[in-house]
Amino acid sequence: MANDSEILPEILHVGIDLGTSRSAISASNGERFVVDSFVGWPADMVAKKVLKRDVLIGHEAVANRTMLDLHRPLERGLLKEGSDKDVEAVRELLKHLLRLVGVSSNGRTDASNVRAVVGVPAASLRTNKQYLRNSMKGIVDSLMIVSEPFAVAYGLNALLHTMIIDIGAGTTDFCVMKGRYPGEEDQRTLTVAGDSLDAQLLKLIEERYPQANVTVFMVREWKEKHSFVGEAPKRVLVTAPVKGVPTELDITNEMRAACETLVPPTVETMLDLLSRVEPEFQERVRNNIILSGGGGLIRNLSETLENALKQVGGGKVTHMPDPVFVGSDGGLALALDAPDSDWEKLTA
Amino acid sequence: MDRVKRQLLRQAVADNLDTIRGLPPRSLRPTRRFAKLFLRRAPLVIIPLMLASFAFLSSTGVPSTRKAAAIAPPPAARHVEASIATSMAPMLMTDTLEPVSASAFPLSVRRVVLDAGHGGSDPGASSISNVSEKEITLDIQKRLGALLRQNGFEVIATRDNDRLIPLRERARLANGSHSDIFVSIHVNSIPHPDNHGVETYYLGPTNDPTLTKLAATENLTSGYALADLRKLLDGVYADVRRDESQRLASAVQLQLFSGLRGVDPGLENWGVKRAPFIVLVATEMPAILAEVGCLSNEREAEMLRSGTYRQQIAQALFHGIHAYASANDAPPKKGT
Repeated sequence: MANDSEILPEILHVGIDLGTSRSAISASNGERFVVDSFVGWPADMVAKKVLKRDVLIGHEAVANRTMLDLHRPLERGLLKEGSDKDVEAVRELLKHLLRLVGVSSNGRTDASNVRAVVGVPAASLRTNKQYLRNSMKGIVDSLMIVSEPFAVAYGLNALLHTMIIDIGAGTTDFCVMKGRYPGEEDQRTLTVAGDSLDAQLLKLIEERYPQANVTVFMVREWKEKHSFVGEAPKRVLVTAPVKGVPTELDITNEMRAACETLVPPTVETMLDLLSRVEPEFQERVRNNIILSGGGGLIRNLSETLENALKQVGGGKVTHMPDPVFVGSDGGLALALDAPDSDWEKLTA
Repeated sequence: MDRVKRQLLRQAVADNLDTIRGLPPRSLRPTRRFAKLFLRRAPLVIIPLMLASFAFLSSTGVPSTRKAAAIAPPPAARHVEASIATSMAPMLMTDTLEPVSASAFPLSVRRVVLDAGHGGSDPGASSISNVSEKEITLDIQKRLGALLRQNGFEVIATRDNDRLIPLRERARLANGSHSDIFVSIHVNSIPHPDNHGVETYYLGPTNDPTLTKLAATENLTSGYALADLRKLLDGVYADVRRDESQRLASAVQLQLFSGLRGVDPGLENWGVKRAPFIVLVATEMPAILAEVGCLSNEREAEMLRSGTYRQQIAQALFHGIHAYASANDAPPKKGT
């Protein structure tokens, strides 16, 4: 039997899509997980006694939110600055993700063996990245931070004459891949995204059904099941308490109106970025537009974008059927491809 | 594809190393900006100095006579030198002792970027009567552009129609155009509908929660939270742009208030202020943001509907820019 000390430490490569709403991790040991980006601490001694935990993360945190000091540590895809609690929350979230894929302080894979690639919004400032880097000290050994749509493009091998539109909760990121590392001129970030859609939908439902008791959590769930633009595939009927009585509400028009708030800025930015591609490559990019992120699942969105492309000669928009791990898988591909010599320079 | 991937990885690692070293993005690196500023402004100082030295040497004649004697050039050369000295001396004496207008050199404030706030799906502020900020700013920008062009300035507009241009894109356009100054035009909306006034911003820190909120609102389409800018701002506050931007803001605010007060006696002067608007952070030239009116005040909103009042605003902005440009064109005083 081999002595434990003779076993070489196992290097674990991970790709992390640190999202405002959900965070996903893909690891080189084959594990993949997604969690809601919520972290909560018991609000008082009673809550702690009931929950029997010091900190709750993800769906558990959302489910027990009434007993928690609940934090969503990312805002528009970026780590909030100025609140120690939010920094602590993001560290807890990252540690939780790593624990899920087998990283533990007393196991064969601990923080000193982890090389991570983390995706951030396309137009993040240097300071955002530095701040994230500081927050990850001690959690991983080496860290590479890349723009989220770049990670998506890398994972899909879509590195040349491609446009990635990644609609997340906090931001919608655009990136034109030209076979080089995307610079500022190739990328855009809009704050019109899933969260702003939720806020709009909640407002419209409250306007139509002022007596209904609806929360943003309910609205988010409805959106994820029924979102669409253009022609409604079927009536959107949901149940919410009205004066305490569960009541069926028809929110078809509200759902359409809220989802369609995404369309004009997305079309405008897509066409503007296209117009900046060298003329001889524009047609190729137009025919290689990839829609990723949760927003990519909005029904008819890719067709609506294709309709908008007709004014510039037509094009093809493909949406990822399973966008949850597209970013983290891309990050993992980057992590695995980077040579040891590069990782040594990127110590966290 | 492998070659492309290797190259992409190298660039991704280089970008991360820049972050670790605390280097700002290339477009914001101060060395390049200082060098550019120096290269653009240096001839303004060097050329008059050279002319002045030449005139001084020609008028005294001592060094050149000594030199001529010592070297003893051939007669033909001496003749040419003498004739140059004779013909240039009076001209140089006159020209260097009189102010030399920098307008003779295409190096001072000549190219102006005008930025009409908001646009497209981002209407900005709106009045009760449904006039939107994006329409007003675009119209004033067009009027101001015409005035500047008539007076010999080159004008670059960040948008000339109703479309949404992200804030970073506006800054990128301005930086790429090698312009001398950047003027962003906005219209305010405040919680107190009875008040209305004009104010002009330049880049700087603020502790005022109202201004922080305003900057956060105006920065909304940039994709960043205000908190994210704080550290970046520390690096650029010490920039030479800050002083220039303050001078430009003062000149514009003075003209805005004095020019519009005559038409609107109730107008308040809210002064020159500092705030971290993204267009001011990311532009590489002296940059200001002028809030030329208040849509939350019903009376002013009505005035802002009129082309005549918008023309008056454009004229006030023009006078401010012209005053700043003229001050920049003034040569150093004698003896300095």
